Amino acid sequence: MALPLFLRSIEESSFSTWLRESESPFGFYFVLLFHTFGLAMLVGANALIDLRLLGFSPGIPLAPLKRFFRIMWIGFGINAATGVVLLISYPTKALTNPIFYAKLTMIASAIWILTKLQKEVFGDPTLPEADMMARGAPLAKWSLTLWVGAISAGRLLAYTFKYILYPF
Amino acid sequence: MNLAHLHLLLNHFPIIGTMVGVGLFVFSLVGKNDDLNRAGLIVFSVMALLALPTFFSGVGAEGAIEQLPGVSRVLIDRHEGAAILALLSMEITGAFSLAGLWQSHKASRPARWNVATILLVSLITVGLMARVGTTGGDVRHPEIWASADPAANEGTLGSIVRAFEPSPSKFTKLMTANKYWWAFMMDLHFIGLIMIIGAVGALDLRMLGFAKALPIASVHRLVPWALAGFAINVITGVLAFIGMPVFYTYDIAFWIKIFAVLLLGLNAAAFYLTDTFKMVEHMGPGEDAPPPAKIIAASSLVLWFGVITLGRYIKSYQGTISGR
Repeated sequence: MALPLFLRSIEESSFSTWLRESESPFGFYFVLLFHTFGLAMLVGANALIDLRLLGFSPGIPLAPLKRFFRIMWIGFGINAATGVVLLISYPTKALTNPIFYAKLTMIASAIWILTKLQKEVFGDPTLPEADMMARGAPLAKWSLTLWVGAISAGRLLAYTFKYILYPF
Repeated sequence: MNLAHLHLLLNHFPIIGTMVGVGLFVFSLVGKNDDLNRAGLIVFSVMALLALPTFFSGVGAEGAIEQLPGVSRVLIDRHEGAAILALLSMEITGAFSLAGLWQSHKASRPARWNVATILLVSLITVGLMARVGTTGGDVRHPEIWASADPAANEGTLGSIVRAFEPSPSKFTKLMTANKYWWAFMMDLHFIGLIMIIGAVGALDLRMLGFAKALPIASVHRLVPWALAGFAINVITGVLAFIGMPVFYTYDIAFWIKIFAVLLLGLNAAAFYLTDTFKMVEHMGPGEDAPPPAKIIAASSLVLWFGVITLGRYIKSYQGTISGR
């Protein structure tokens, strides 16, 4: 079965070629770096909130952690943008790898849980902390699992690809 | 300054520094002096940190001399095997020392089980470090050889320790035998990064004035998560280095990354060993941290993101240091 030609068209575009082949420090590795920054912001802050909801470091008041949602959404924005650019650099490599789809599924699920956390746990400022914990703990468990899965899948992409570029 | 020179400079720290640490630690127990005890733990932690670039620079030293006449491959491998074992013992000592420092911050002294453990592992480390030093000296100084062929005539104690020392080439092959093992190690390295950034990032941001409703003392309780993340990254980092020693050694991004980690150690010392930590320790919600704390918090964030950056660029900068 031949691979869809649009993959080749993307790779032959000047932007995609520039990202892969340019000597500029702002090429592929720069984009990948910001993908790591975004991950650190999004998952770092989310892990902090998840662990708190699971009962660790009970001395930290839960309500003020709402401020970290801004950091998480900025991190997600950075990763969505850099993710698209990375995909433009190596579309065949990513889209022919089933692990890439697993990664996107886990990220989508983790983000869905993040929106539930924001609405159901942190949405009502009058909600007592005990209620926040009760609602948040099951969400937190899933959130942590999905993020560990997403990061692992992301790492595996570098080692499990079948094609690096469109095979001619 | 080249890598061989760096190796010869740095090796004094883990070898002699741990002896100083043991001295302080033992005297602190005899004299029941908590400050001296803490000093000993700090020395162990610092030596554990410095042991890392010492170990890494060994490959550069090897590269500089292995082609020279009269240099024995067997003696180099013996030294490297001894170094791997000693590094393991040193890092275990450092880990327990950091745990002890955390405990003494909460209860004025480390837990009794920790004191006993540190005493044991630090003494083992001193012994193993002495062996690394001697086997290293054997490589270029036949005048110190106890017998004609030091590798063949180890003596009783040497033979026992030798049995625990890994073969460097076998260790290297093991690390790179399976790409899923490598992916797993890199995956853990990212998870450790998340733990560090989540915990230290939260504390740094709070000190800089973000989310002021949080009391600093309780955010500071997250630090053990960062230490655990750092431990995971030291382990996975050292294993990765052993897996691809030439790749990392001759890469300028790798060395600047290690230097940034040492600067972070200095930053932590500036925070805890001056009055800065005492100033912020009991700050409650709404309170603003003083300027020294903000400077330390800002440099911590910049340096950690610098470490991430340099780590990401290691691949692009391979071969940027000459020597092979």
